[in-house]
Amino acid sequence: MTGTAEEREIRLDRMRYVKNTASSRLCYLAIIFDVLYFVKIYQSDVGSWYYRILVGGSIIYNLLFMLVTFLASEGVKNYKAGYSKVLYILGVLQACRIFILPVSAHSALVKVGGEQLQAMDDAKFVFVIICLALSAVCLIAAAEINRRKCAALAEHAGRTDEAKEAA
Amino acid sequence: MATLSLKHIGKIYDNDVQAVQDFNLDVRDGELIVLVGPSGCGKSTTLRMVAGLEDISEGQLLLDGKDITRMAPKDRDMAMVFQNYALYGHMTIYENMAFSLTLRREDPNVIHKKVLAAAEILGLTEQLNKKPAQLSGGQRQRVAMGRAIVRNPKVFLFDEPLSNLDAKLRGATRREIMLLHKRLGATMMYVTHDQTEALTLADRIVCMSMGRVQQVGTPLELYETPANLFVAGFIGLPPMNVFSVRVDGDELTAPDLRVPLTPGEKDLLKGYAGREIVLGVRPEDMASGGDVTMRVVNNENLGMNTLVHGTTGSGSANGRKITAKLKGWHDHRAGDEVTLSFTRKHFFDPDTTNAIRKGEPQ
Repeated sequence: MTGTAEEREIRLDRMRYVKNTASSRLCYLAIIFDVLYFVKIYQSDVGSWYYRILVGGSIIYNLLFMLVTFLASEGVKNYKAGYSKVLYILGVLQACRIFILPVSAHSALVKVGGEQLQAMDDAKFVFVIICLALSAVCLIAAAEINRRKCAALAEHAGRTDEAKEAA
Repeated sequence: MATLSLKHIGKIYDNDVQAVQDFNLDVRDGELIVLVGPSGCGKSTTLRMVAGLEDISEGQLLLDGKDITRMAPKDRDMAMVFQNYALYGHMTIYENMAFSLTLRREDPNVIHKKVLAAAEILGLTEQLNKKPAQLSGGQRQRVAMGRAIVRNPKVFLFDEPLSNLDAKLRGATRREIMLLHKRLGATMMYVTHDQTEALTLADRIVCMSMGRVQQVGTPLELYETPANLFVAGFIGLPPMNVFSVRVDGDELTAPDLRVPLTPGEKDLLKGYAGREIVLGVRPEDMASGGDVTMRVVNNENLGMNTLVHGTTGSGSANGRKITAKLKGWHDHRAGDEVTLSFTRKHFFDPDTTNAIRKGEPQ
């Protein structure tokens, strides 16, 4: 934190009344990147490669991801420290997803009308990787910001309570 | 803090209705002015014109000598508190109070300091994280005041802020406004139709009727020396009793009513000898025993006082309604005859309805 000691103190005190919008907005951004990812993936129509259980699981995971991330965004908005752990896990999972559906689709070859095609072309592969990576970064950043703010707020609250008791 | 001048202000709506006519007033620095009058008298319209929420049809509005007649509301440096609080339901109390400053892009740390200071003044510190729906009406109105305070405006405008509150809360919030005015020393304009609010809060009262100013003065001036019959009837509870009487030598006479005059009153009314005038007597200016006879209709004991309602005379058809507020506990029954004396009288010209005063043309 920058500024004078008094400014830092006020900034901390403000957290008692101002919501953690930075973390919650990063969560919304993570959801948006995830939506871009699955919209791009589900647009694909290369033979019957995509009609498989992996894509079904991906659809269910996306629904759960959006629900849990939204709930977590409400939690971090109110400085709930526990939601940082949830966001860390979600962020790591988003990063791991790069190596599941996108990688397998990019490496798969499908025969359509006697022609060998990639299940996912290079441009689409790069796009979905970026989306998932950004989604993961947003979630981890949201978690880290929330963790730091919660710790600072708890420390500030402890000091103010002590001061009140002393008074 | 600021001075405010309203010069010949008028408001004419598109349908040619003249809501306010020739309104003149100089509000002094740090003064609390209360506009009072019945519904539709133009008091809220006047306040809205001052705030810039209504266009001024005629006249001039000056703030600290600067003409702001056509200035946009946001540039006037005035804060208004509304009857319905106008709080944002989805925001916390802190966010509601900080909102106007956030829009102005003030430093968040400065906003924080101002909000906490205002919350401290209004006793809202513990409520800052709550939503408006979680607060009582009185607390919500305090939040609305807090939102005005944080802006540190030149003039505070209150548009019937207590009308939504129950009687007990209204009394408490009224006292808070009074203390707030003393603490801030700010220039305030306050609109109400409740004369109790007007009398208790105001440095000066502007009494309005039909879009016109009837009298401007201190609460005591309006109560003790009403300028006309309207003010006399509007200020005071229960309202003043009025009787059409004839000035007849040493007394005022009417069927079923004979009221003796003091030498001073006789001198005041010498120009009206033999003519009709209007006699006004406040219920609290009556005492038991005297020359005026009253037939009791009903009796209301209020503890310290008793309100006795009845008709003048001994119950004849000519008797006029009269209400007396007598000291102490009285147990009169319907039909009882009571004698009264008028300890203080007000006289009005029946043609102009203006008060008859010494040295004024009759």
